[in-house]
Amino acid sequence: MSHAKYSVINTHVHNIDGVAKVTGRATYTFDVNLPGMLHGKILRSPHPHAKILSIDTTRALELPGVKIVVTGKDTLGIKQGIWRRYEELCDEQVLPLEKVRYIGEPVAAVAAITEEIAEAALDLIDVEYEVLPAVYEPLEAIKKEAPTIHEGVERNVNVTRHIEWGDVDEAFEEADYIREDWFKCSGQAHMCMETRAAVSSFTPEGKLTCWASTQSAYYTQGLLAGVLGLREGDVRVLAPYVGGGFGGKFELDAAMFCSAVMSMKLFKPVKVVFSREEDFIASKRRTPMFYYVRTGIKKDGTFCARESRMFSNGGAYTGMGATALYLSGFFHSFPYKWRGYRYDGYRVYTNTLPSTSMRGFGAPQAMFCSEQQIDWICADLGLDPFEVRRKNGHTEGYEVPGQAFIASCGLEQCINEIEKWVKSKGKLPANRGIGISSCGFMSGGIFNWFDSPYSFSSAVVTINVDGTVELHVGCQDIGQGSNTTMAIIAAETLGVKVEDIRVHSGDTAHCPADLGAWGSRQTLMAGNAVKMACEDAKKQLLEFAYAEMGINIVYDLDIKDRWVHIVARPERGLKYEELVKKALRAKDGQRIMGRGYYTPHRKGMISPAYSYMMQAVDAEVDPETGKIKIHEVMTAHDCGQPINQLGLIGQLEGAASMALGYAYLEDMPMEDGKLMNPNLVDYKVIKAPEMPEAGIIEIDTYEPEGPYGAKEAGEGLTNPTAAALGNAIYHAMGIQMKELPITPERVLKALREKKEQEAQKK
Amino acid sequence: MEKQVLRFKVNGDEYEVFIHPKTLLAEVIRDHLGLTGTKRGCETVSCGACTVNVNGKSVKSCSVLAIQCEGMEVTTVEGLEKNGKLSPIQRSFLDHGSYQCGFCTPGMLMSATAFISEAKNPTKEQVKESIEGNICRCTGYNSIVRAIEAVTQGKYKEE
Amino acid sequence: MSFKCPACKKEWPNSKQVARHMFGTGDKAHRGWIESQGYSYIELLLAQTTEPGNKSYEVLAELIEKAQDKL
Repeated sequence: MSHAKYSVINTHVHNIDGVAKVTGRATYTFDVNLPGMLHGKILRSPHPHAKILSIDTTRALELPGVKIVVTGKDTLGIKQGIWRRYEELCDEQVLPLEKVRYIGEPVAAVAAITEEIAEAALDLIDVEYEVLPAVYEPLEAIKKEAPTIHEGVERNVNVTRHIEWGDVDEAFEEADYIREDWFKCSGQAHMCMETRAAVSSFTPEGKLTCWASTQSAYYTQGLLAGVLGLREGDVRVLAPYVGGGFGGKFELDAAMFCSAVMSMKLFKPVKVVFSREEDFIASKRRTPMFYYVRTGIKKDGTFCARESRMFSNGGAYTGMGATALYLSGFFHSFPYKWRGYRYDGYRVYTNTLPSTSMRGFGAPQAMFCSEQQIDWICADLGLDPFEVRRKNGHTEGYEVPGQAFIASCGLEQCINEIEKWVKSKGKLPANRGIGISSCGFMSGGIFNWFDSPYSFSSAVVTINVDGTVELHVGCQDIGQGSNTTMAIIAAETLGVKVEDIRVHSGDTAHCPADLGAWGSRQTLMAGNAVKMACEDAKKQLLEFAYAEMGINIVYDLDIKDRWVHIVARPERGLKYEELVKKALRAKDGQRIMGRGYYTPHRKGMISPAYSYMMQAVDAEVDPETGKIKIHEVMTAHDCGQPINQLGLIGQLEGAASMALGYAYLEDMPMEDGKLMNPNLVDYKVIKAPEMPEAGIIEIDTYEPEGPYGAKEAGEGLTNPTAAALGNAIYHAMGIQMKELPITPERVLKALREKKEQEAQKK
Repeated sequence: MEKQVLRFKVNGDEYEVFIHPKTLLAEVIRDHLGLTGTKRGCETVSCGACTVNVNGKSVKSCSVLAIQCEGMEVTTVEGLEKNGKLSPIQRSFLDHGSYQCGFCTPGMLMSATAFISEAKNPTKEQVKESIEGNICRCTGYNSIVRAIEAVTQGKYKEE
Repeated sequence: MSFKCPACKKEWPNSKQVARHMFGTGDKAHRGWIESQGYSYIELLLAQTTEPGNKSYEVLAELIEKAQDKL
């Protein structure tokens, strides 16, 4: 069986924003320039934990060119958070009133006629602090003597999550072999090419327009309205082009907030753009996690029980951290069937940069621990890593007890393909190894923690007289190509070409609400909404064709490649454009409009659908320097029906580059709460010469809940890489890497320790 | 320091601007000439988003003072197309999907343009090295390398 | 023989399982009951994860057993 053949779906379609992006026409928030616009800069706390005693803005206000200086006292002081439904998770005043909780936290903002003047004014703001003791590590922050970071939060434990099924203790008793390990997973910076940026313009009618580099124009609209005391309908958020997001850009950030606060007081547009350094120190990061993993397995390789505990370094505020806490524990069980499973996750406040969601949402960390331990167990027991994964892997129709229903699953085929690929490599030279990792990931979550009253995704399609189509969606294109994916689904469903579709997105004034680009939800959820809207429009259109053609009731009409035809006799029909004209006249000049929407309703429990994959990383270690060279990455991937062919390849390669960076290059070392490398010289992202070939083998499955059988692709692909690299190094050098990133120093240390252990044995 | 006049060509057009000598080329291009295709992504001359061509050479415009370009010819991404016809490298990028968020793309195109004009039968490694100074967070570079290779292999002709 | 959760009345075959359920649920009702017995929910929870053995579960299981008569 191969993937179904479609006219548009899974064909080589150019990204519809391509011409704008390759000609410099694409305008990002970074580029927005409005008449009379002022430039804003933010003053940030130099202390990790301190009371704000006073802020004197007199000297700054006296600087010629400065128009305003604001502090927390100039705001409504609302504690906000992305998860509006849970008051205790709304813990952040973007401009705090009483105290600062991390180095880099905003304390004041300035708007001036030039950036230079605004910058100079920052030095003229006098802030008096009472420095408080600070704590930086979660296992220190939970101690009785640790300073309290948020009043009323005992032992700095922000959130706890618990997942359990089966009788775990009994399952452990059934095991022939039990292994336990501790792991330390690092944070990671989103490092979007476009830093956080916003331009706010408040006008005398009492309406706010905000251009924002955001992953969800709707979330930004709701959050801004909430903290500014405005109606959502009086806030318009525009996000025409966004320079990357990766999970870091759908919360309320200081660029959005400060530019809006200042604009509301001045009735002038104000632009705030984070410098790269600010982006590093003051936009939330991937959650660092300490994982304790205990696994019980039978000697024939059957998994019995897993018990894991995880402490995450939440940093100063909750952000999306509560979700990462849960999902990490959830995906830590993937993609295997466990008789007994228990996860206890604790998110702990510390006086460091808050942590939040980042591509993978806790799963890359979870897999780094789980998938490596599985290989070590296989080595301990003399079992085959492929066979063990195949034996215990999820299958179609399986229910993760109380958590997930797996409607489609290509895991076994993925494992088979990678096994073949690895075997084809034959024997590798010394210091070189191939490591594998499998995983599964969700296609969006069913939870509505933002407490939205709207459908999770909606779409409106309107057909013009010449057959061109206006498609209004709320999903946000942040580079992953959702505009193109929606255009493809629309074109396929309506029976027209991609060039006929104009996608409208990134404007809350014109587009329906959509929860936005996170949790890998858009292809499935927005895709379903688009399909529904287009099916609605097509049905209305075909009503006129049925009337026009007068065919026998047993025959069906369809539209393909702009040809309206009898399905059984495709040569009989009429041109799509002709039908549109007739329909328009018949409807008194009213254009055909279709509406679609989608909300999951507990399908699949946590998520409507799950993608699966197995990845292999071929890596070489230099035993002298500890440096790693990645030779190749190969992934067998099940995302149901691929929709956007070029987009999928791009997502796979891009995910691999980001996940490799997480695995061995990117580090965020802090000293006393201060980030030591907030620039692109010292923060190492992968560059072109280091990037290996990353091939993809698409496995053919069909997901009933997804549009045309599609499910997520692009976030799940970041999950397996760190583990696969760790396993490659294990097989190459015999060392177990329990800490991320896998730096040369850590490799050399492990090699030394191994040598010492071997010497002791003799 | 007094402002001074800078006369130079950008995308084939003569410009005369009156600027402070400390003004960076990137600032003149974006803020004075309004050509916002060229982006900025860092303060440490590290990311390459600001790459332009100066007299045919690939230059990070954040690392150069504008006045250093007196009398020179600067090309930015806006100057690659001619009367609505895209250049070979732009067409190759479209075919290969060599961009996602697009923020690094202008810089990538300019590094590639300079490289392509000089390279003769480059190897894949050489192509990769030509964009070593351009960071991309989205694509993983391989589609960009494929696009550049296709042009150096003669698969795209000037229209 | 079955044991009821003092907070939500859900039934389990033994008191230790009720204890696990109470720790795992962690909402106001369950925490509130533990606090009403003179113990700190957070202290017990953290002791369980950072110290060897099952002391916290044993302490809570005992309290649960004693409370069965009143439920």
